[in-house]
Amino acid sequence: MTVKDLQSKLNLKALNEATDTEVEGAFISDMLSDVMAGAKAGNVWVTVQTHKNIIAAANLVDVPAIIVVRDKKVPEDTLQMADRVGVTVFATDLDSFQIAVKLYEAGIKPTT
Amino acid sequence: MARDRCKHQWKMVNLRDGFIVTEKCYHCKAARVYFSYEEVPPKDEYKEGDHYWNYAGSAQSVKFDMECSECGKVVEFEELMGLMQCAQCDASCYLNILSHVSESQNVWLYAALSYKGGEEVDLPPEKLEVLSAHFTGRLRTPGKKILTVPGSLRKSPDTCKGEMLRDVGMLSLTPEE
Repeated sequence: MTVKDLQSKLNLKALNEATDTEVEGAFISDMLSDVMAGAKAGNVWVTVQTHKNIIAAANLVDVPAIIVVRDKKVPEDTLQMADRVGVTVFATDLDSFQIAVKLYEAGIKPTT
Repeated sequence: MARDRCKHQWKMVNLRDGFIVTEKCYHCKAARVYFSYEEVPPKDEYKEGDHYWNYAGSAQSVKFDMECSECGKVVEFEELMGLMQCAQCDASCYLNILSHVSESQNVWLYAALSYKGGEEVDLPPEKLEVLSAHFTGRLRTPGKKILTVPGSLRKSPDTCKGEMLRDVGMLSLTPEE
């Protein structure tokens, strides 16, 4: 499933361009250090964080898409950085648990 | 010295949670950064030599070492505080200039910000190579590479708008001043 497919299946609002990068698994955390240490390439990352450093962290470990939950506002400089590195940022009013359920139902399985 | 024959496969080990603490001397305005493994960041004010150190902020982070899964060699990164991606804030900064060139080749630079005795130092080239190899090895985008570079490539740490990858304000309901 690609990032574009994910957008379509979950009816997610993309704040920038959705790419054709393959998604594999998901990682849920609000800590950059967690992502740096534990996220796998291809994971979609679910977080409430919106600071532009989430893009730097995603780029470091090849996370192709970030879902910002609970309607948190994503600043413009975060989106500019996302465009620079090619990471898609989605927004949803769901919380982390609700979006995790939807990801699982859409076929996103845990990665080891 | 002969290079290792092993084609190292580096993995993060010995992960330790803690805080990156910044202190400032209210007398001479000097600043220093260190890593604390305490459960809460130390906020004491104290005198040390001619300095009067005050707490100036902290952020959660994680320390790690790297171990080769092929030969078992361990490389420690005690002095590494964090990685920072260039914010492209100053056209005359070497890190910015190099970032522009490298990004066009899908090579992404991260400055390895390191401190010893509270003062900024550069990681030696062999440690930068280990970090680069580890993070590049985790990628699956064809042709993409991660290159960790010395923090001293920044024109000035005082004016640099790049921010270290760390977790600020995770323990408090109110923003830090």
